[in-house]
Amino acid sequence: MTDPADSRALVSLTLSFRPLANQIGPLRSLLSDLCRPHLADPDGLSRLLLAAHELLENIVKYSVGEAAEFHLHLEAKTSGLRVRLRTKNRAAPERMADARWRLDALARAGDPIAHYDELIRESAGRRDVSGLGLARIPAESEMELYYTTDRDWLIVTAEGNASKRVSE
Amino acid sequence: MSELSLTAVGGEGFQVTPTLVDFNLRLVFTGNGDMNATSVVHEYLKAVHEEALRLGLAQVSCDFKQLTFMNSSCFKSFVVWIDTVKISEIRYQIVFLTNPNLPWQRRSLEALRRLAATLVTIETIA
Repeated sequence: MTDPADSRALVSLTLSFRPLANQIGPLRSLLSDLCRPHLADPDGLSRLLLAAHELLENIVKYSVGEAAEFHLHLEAKTSGLRVRLRTKNRAAPERMADARWRLDALARAGDPIAHYDELIRESAGRRDVSGLGLARIPAESEMELYYTTDRDWLIVTAEGNASKRVSE
Repeated sequence: MSELSLTAVGGEGFQVTPTLVDFNLRLVFTGNGDMNATSVVHEYLKAVHEEALRLGLAQVSCDFKQLTFMNSSCFKSFVVWIDTVKISEIRYQIVFLTNPNLPWQRRSLEALRRLAATLVTIETIA
C-alpha cells in the first residue's frame, strides 16, 4: 500500500537488499540521477549524496543477516526541499552498542561541527576503524541524525533541508 | 636531489599519481575514494610521509580536481597522515587543491585544516 506521504514526494525510493560494497557507487549514481532535476544548487545534491554514501557504507560494514533497507524521500515544502534518508539493518550486539553510543553523543552535542572536530582529534592517534562516518553527516550534510531500535534492528534516519527547489 | 621512489597506485575507479618538481611532491587523486580505496590511501600516505622525510620535501600537494568523492575511512587516513606530520620533528606543508564544482571537497577539507591550521592549506583550482 502506498504511503500518502509518497504521493507528495518528488522522489521516493525504498530498497530492500543484501548490501555489498560494490553496490554503493551505482546506488549513489542512481540517487544523483533521481534527485538532480529537483535540486537548484550543486551543494544541496552534494550534501545529500554524502549522507547517503556514509549511511550505505555503514550498513555494508556493520549489518548482519541478509536483509537491509535503504529509503530516500525528497519532498517539496514551502521553505524548499526536504530530504529524509533512512537505513534499517540488523546489528550484532557490540555494533548496536557502539552505534547507540555514537548517536547518543551526537544527539547531546550542541554543535555538530565542534563535535566532529573533537572526534577527528581523538581519532588521529588511532589507526583502527574510522568512527567518523555518522558524525560527518550532520557536520557536512547539515542534516539531523537520529535512530530507533527494534530488537536487533538499527534504524538510522538523516533528515534536513536539501536546497531551494528548482523553479517550475 | 634523489629520485622519487613513489609510483602511481590504484586501479579501476581510483588512482593516485605522484610527480616531483623541485621540493614539491604533487599527488593527483582520480576517481572515487570509497571502501575499495581505503587501504590503498592509508598505505600510500604512510609511504608519502617516509618519502617526504627522505627527500626533505618542503610541500606535498594533493590535487583533488578529479576526485569525485572520498568516504570517511579514506578521510581518516588523511587525519592520521596530518597528525603524523604534526608530531614529526621534520615537517612539511600540505596543500589541498580543490575543484569548485565538487562542493563536498571544501566542506570535508576544512575539517582537516582545522586539525592543523599551520600545516594545511586549501586552494581552489579552475
